[in-house]
Amino acid sequence: MDENKVILKISNLSKTFEDKKGNVVRAVDNVSFDVYDNEFLVLLGPGQCGKTVMLNVIAGLLEPDDGEVRLDGEAVNGHSPKIGMVLQKTALMPWKTVIENTEIGPKWKGVSKKERREKAESYIKLVGLSGFEKSYPAQLSGGMKQRVGIARAYTNDPEILIMDEPFGALDAQTRYAMEEEVARIWQQEKRTVIFVTNNIEEACYLGDRIILFSERPATIKEIYVNDLPRPRDMISEEFMKLRTKISDNTDLAI
Amino acid sequence: MVRTDKNGQKGEFKKTTPKDIVYFILPFVSIGFLLLLWYRVSSITSLFPGMVQTYERFLLLLEKPIMRVPFYGHILASLKRVVIALLAAIVVGIAFGTLIGWNKKCDSFFGTVFNFIRPIPPLAWIPLITITFGIGEFPKILIVFIGAVIPIVLNTRAGLLSVEQIYLDVGQLFDANRWQMLWEVAMPCATPAIVAGIKTATSAAWMVVLAAEMLGAKSGVGFLVTRGMDANDMPLVLVAMITIGVIGALLGVITSLIERLICPWMRIK
Amino acid sequence: MDKKTKTKKRDKLGRGQNASAYTYAMLSFAGVMAFLIIWQLLLVAGIVSDRYLAKPTELVVLFVQKFSDPAPDGATLLVSIWASLRVSLTGLILAIVIGVPLGLCMGWFKALDRLVTPIFEIIRPIPPVSWIPLTILWMGIGLRAKAFIIFFSAFIPCVINSYTGVKLTNKTLINVARTSGASYVETFYKVAIPSALTMVFTGIRVAVGNAWSTLVAAEMLAASAGLGYMILMGRMFARADIIILGMLVIGAIGAFFNGILSFVENHVIKWR
Repeated sequence: MDENKVILKISNLSKTFEDKKGNVVRAVDNVSFDVYDNEFLVLLGPGQCGKTVMLNVIAGLLEPDDGEVRLDGEAVNGHSPKIGMVLQKTALMPWKTVIENTEIGPKWKGVSKKERREKAESYIKLVGLSGFEKSYPAQLSGGMKQRVGIARAYTNDPEILIMDEPFGALDAQTRYAMEEEVARIWQQEKRTVIFVTNNIEEACYLGDRIILFSERPATIKEIYVNDLPRPRDMISEEFMKLRTKISDNTDLAI
Repeated sequence: MVRTDKNGQKGEFKKTTPKDIVYFILPFVSIGFLLLLWYRVSSITSLFPGMVQTYERFLLLLEKPIMRVPFYGHILASLKRVVIALLAAIVVGIAFGTLIGWNKKCDSFFGTVFNFIRPIPPLAWIPLITITFGIGEFPKILIVFIGAVIPIVLNTRAGLLSVEQIYLDVGQLFDANRWQMLWEVAMPCATPAIVAGIKTATSAAWMVVLAAEMLGAKSGVGFLVTRGMDANDMPLVLVAMITIGVIGALLGVITSLIERLICPWMRIK
Repeated sequence: MDKKTKTKKRDKLGRGQNASAYTYAMLSFAGVMAFLIIWQLLLVAGIVSDRYLAKPTELVVLFVQKFSDPAPDGATLLVSIWASLRVSLTGLILAIVIGVPLGLCMGWFKALDRLVTPIFEIIRPIPPVSWIPLTILWMGIGLRAKAFIIFFSAFIPCVINSYTGVKLTNKTLINVARTSGASYVETFYKVAIPSALTMVFTGIRVAVGNAWSTLVAAEMLAASAGLGYMILMGRMFARADIIILGMLVIGAIGAFFNGILSFVENHVIKWR
């Protein structure tokens, strides 16, 4: 892993939006950070701090008011096919089966049915959903839906994968299982992952680096480098130390 | 919970209470009451045909054609008008509804005119259409078409407008082009609304065909009603009404079946 | 990706480019004007015979004239409108006053549900229009007969929607009310009825549409006054202009009813 190769460069990003009452709210304020190739980067911040807005800007769904996003040295303008995303509300298409949902990326690019099916199949296997290809999303549990969301993102072959609080809606047990799963998949299928969460334990378990954000408007508080060996032990002394260090530096709302 | 009902049986599995028995009987009471009312009213006054009379008229109708068209012929005539008009309305309605639901500029340009025409009840078109096209088959189908196309356009447009943003985000994240965005994301999202529109259109079409036939036709179940009225043959009117009700209900069942076929994912929940 | 396609995709619905409100207003205006001009031109150029259609300009003149001139159908426009309104409002108000409470109670009290619903299911599929001959036989062609048919067409959606509205009441809300000590009847009017209101209004909206459309049929089949009668007379005298004016007035009043209903709905259901 080349730690020094910057793949995504975010500089001086700012974004305001209008809330329902028409007040102008500053969501992201002058944020700059680099994302290295193949790293697992965690963005940690309290709920409602503007992380999702920031992600939508990075993914090209929203335009920044100020600042820019550079991918491989080129300014990102609109959504780049090199960036994939796993959404908190999985947003699987309810009228498509698991395999049809998984293959939408290559399908829309015009990849032949045989080829895209094979690819989708391999990622469905990777996330452990073999046998559910023909099921509709409504037949799956929350954790399974999120697995499909992950398979769908990987099948589209992005260079960078953004995960926006993917496990926010899951119960604690499923959440632990999914964290392990994501760490395993990331080690098997090396990609740059930007993982957003408001859970410190999750951040420490998954991240190579953890960027801690303040309350809204989101600004960077601190960047932690986490080189604990994987698979990580959540009750080891070093893990606890890191966890305490971060939580002591955190705004209350977390 | 173990309860004992009237008969002293232990209701360990069903828990049948006296209340449940009353609830079970009540529908029979009300239908019995309805039949009794029909019997009494028809025996007191001649203004309402009796049960036996109606049934005999029904049997006679099966044997003896009216206007040289047998009973089933009248039913088929009405159904043919409805089906042709409905198919045309589905094609035109979905196309136009998609146009104004997907493109805001088209919505402004065509939608406003459509909104002016929409509140005119389909039946009010009958005089204008008959003055232009006479009283043949085409004008009737056209009137039914007008009645059926409006709910389909409205539902298609509303369905497309209420597509959840998150699905459009997914479309964008996976780089759907505009065509894929419409066909692969927005249209499936809008399908339940469109199917609901077709259901409304079907019952509207049945109502309109009936009125159109009552206002001037030589065949069809609506014609049977007016024929009965003109000939002071009230049992025929009642037979026709019951036929209309039964076919209307059947059409409802058929559209529901089609809905389940078109939206298989709606069944799982 | 160039700038243009980007804005295209940024639009909330992924639809065409976002333009200003002014552009849309102008497009609406242009659409209506184009419609009227094409209509006028078709007649001026003689592509469509004026036996079948009337020019928009003629309609404006006729509209003004019809306020004082009873020819050819025997009533001025206001008289026709009043005749139609009187019939439809009588039937409609009766239907709402009886139908909504009945539907609400049917949804809440099971005995009533079991007793009345079967009768409903039997009568419901028969379109109200087909009751016209029997009604004429019973009541003649006066106000009573027509109001009855209107009542019939409006009554059913009022009942069905109120019934469904109550049935769809959130079970949690009912349980909260019951465990806080509200009686069954209290829960009905404090929880079930308010939560059913949206559906009730949908029902009334359908009822208004049905009533207005059935009225036209009733007035064409059996009447000596009203807007439906007016267009039927237009047909008899082969006066396309009378027919189209009648249609437009019918449409306008229907739209007006709908507007009033939306206004009332927004004021009654404030929590939405």
